[in-house]
Amino acid sequence: MPITPCATLVARIASAIVLASALLPQVAQAGSMLDTVRARGHLLCGVNTSLLGFSAPDANGRWHGLDVDVCRALAAAVLGDAEKIKFVSLSATQRFSALQSGEVDLLSRNTTITLARDASMGLQMTAIAYYDGQGFMVSAKSKIRSTKQLKDKSVCVQQGSTTIRNLTEYAKTHKLNIKLMAFDRFEDANTTYFSGKCDAYTNDASQLASVRMKFAQNQADHVILPELIAKEPLGPMVRRGDESWTSIVRWVVFGLIEAEELGISQTNIDQLKSHQNPAIQRIVGTGDEDIGKPLGLEREWMARAIRATGNYGEIFERNLGPKTLLGLPRGMNNLWNKGGLHYALPMR
Amino acid sequence: MTSTQTTRPWRHAAGLLTLLAALLAPGAQAGSTLDAVRSRGQLICGVSTGLPGFAATDANGKWQGLDVDICRAVAAAVLGDADKVRYAPLSGSNRFSALQAGEIDLLSHTTTITLARDAAMGLHMTGISYYDAQGFLVPVKSRLRSARQLKDKTVCVQQNSTTVRNLNEYSRLYKLNIKVLLFDQLEAANAAYFAGKCDAFTNDMSQLAVVRTTYAAKPDDHVVLPDVIAKEPLGPMVKRGDEDWTTIVRWVLYGLIEAEEQGITQANVDRLRSSPEPAIQRIAGTGEDLGKMLGLDREWLARAIRATGNYGEIFDRNLGAKSPIGVPRGLNHLWNRGGLHYALPVR
Repeated sequence: MPITPCATLVARIASAIVLASALLPQVAQAGSMLDTVRARGHLLCGVNTSLLGFSAPDANGRWHGLDVDVCRALAAAVLGDAEKIKFVSLSATQRFSALQSGEVDLLSRNTTITLARDASMGLQMTAIAYYDGQGFMVSAKSKIRSTKQLKDKSVCVQQGSTTIRNLTEYAKTHKLNIKLMAFDRFEDANTTYFSGKCDAYTNDASQLASVRMKFAQNQADHVILPELIAKEPLGPMVRRGDESWTSIVRWVVFGLIEAEELGISQTNIDQLKSHQNPAIQRIVGTGDEDIGKPLGLEREWMARAIRATGNYGEIFERNLGPKTLLGLPRGMNNLWNKGGLHYALPMR
Repeated sequence: MTSTQTTRPWRHAAGLLTLLAALLAPGAQAGSTLDAVRSRGQLICGVSTGLPGFAATDANGKWQGLDVDICRAVAAAVLGDADKVRYAPLSGSNRFSALQAGEIDLLSHTTTITLARDAAMGLHMTGISYYDAQGFLVPVKSRLRSARQLKDKTVCVQQNSTTVRNLNEYSRLYKLNIKVLLFDQLEAANAAYFAGKCDAFTNDMSQLAVVRTTYAAKPDDHVVLPDVIAKEPLGPMVKRGDEDWTTIVRWVLYGLIEAEEQGITQANVDRLRSSPEPAIQRIAGTGEDLGKMLGLDREWLARAIRATGNYGEIFDRNLGAKSPIGVPRGLNHLWNRGGLHYALPVR
């Protein structure tokens, strides 16, 4: 091609593009979600419409729950204030599109992390906040005491979840010929079950306890069957395209878990500022090493989160544990060195 | 393009802008590492310079070990052939720069995943392949029986690892005044310890077991102290900028763990193709196609299992009961057998 002014221009644009494409993938994504959240001044957190223990508003409209506390810890870490959050309540079918479209910065909504969700929806997992498993609740007078007895029974289930799929597969594998009654809204599935229109209700075991507590007239009238038919690890998800944001969310969750392992709590955190153990110093935000910096945050990021919500154990006890209405045991959700599975990667 | 009046150079410019937009879109990086690996026809895997059980060459020059098997499983999944791997042996200090520079596709190198490494080095974790912890090896005749007895002692350690730093922190915390002898190469640190130049050798517990059984003239002359001074979860790392690749590596690893949980082995994976259970069908390559979601084919995980076996088989062959090293499964057992390995649901 002869060199014409236009062609020169094209060549310039081309080389500029080559340069830009070399620079932009890193530059464009670095800290962009963090910058957006900071410029906005609050975090947009996608939560459940109402699930006791995980995310539910109280009589005064204040949100409570483990998923809510993950949002609060994150807001404290990145904005310095656990109250700077707008909670966006999402149904099971809305949740992923809300995250994909940028309506929320984070989905903290009792969501099972699976291959399909991590790989093919433009989303990314961060960490596991709660190890759950799928189970069944039946009426005590039904005499059903094992999932194998669900042959030809009707089961209420929420639409748009991994739950429905596990149920279908379980029925197929064990030739149970279960009749599915699927509902888009969680509340409708609950109501239908409690009105006696289906023989069993299936959901994550933690949710069954939550539902029984909230909706059953008499708790003893309903039994949660002992078998779990699927692993359901729940955790916050983020949109792809900003790996720095993924890391921030992941390490806030790990930080809460590590704080429990090191005995750093909401009540003692300020006393621990002068502690000699470097592992404690790093989390409290004193000492030589600043672990906020690698994440683009301040030295006090994790201390602020713990001051706001307490460590993972405190969050669990307050929202789900034996002293709450739900009374869930720690079980798999205990620390790795206390018989559970929560193992924070090293905060260093 | 709608306008036919556009002059030719401008059409080129517009085309380039479209290309730029495509490059910058969220999907822009999709499959780029996968494409590079496929067009090269080979996976380049960064491994240890020689650590039996994790990554070392055998008498025939063939690489063996848990870290090596992860490379092989990834190669089987993405290239259809576990042997299409070029191993790049890396020291503790050049491993990250090799990954950052794109000299390797994957770092599978007994590397502890920490906040700093995941957050600030342009790298990203994928999953945990081995739950390790840092301890000490001492000569039996030294009479040292606890890490707290290391006051004023000399400890050999490999440079530029989390190990050095945990040692310094431990020494400071308990006022032990430990003298640290640093070596860039693991082999040099081992040799110095066995030559009696230091009172103790510190490393991850698994590596201490390897070093003791492999390099000691008489393994029984050396003892691993019971104290553990730090958690050391090891796992493969990738370069940032290609989340699809991160996801592929993560799910190959989870796939190997899930295969163990489901009882799918190197020996039975082909037979299980006709299993009626959807959870098994997905892994064996019949039933629902999960490979598609990763940009792979339906048989991705079945090939990996055929090449290396499931996680339990990999562990036993390289480090466990069927190896000379004989490390107990411990924390590396499945979650429902007392360990910590819990594959996220492969569905």
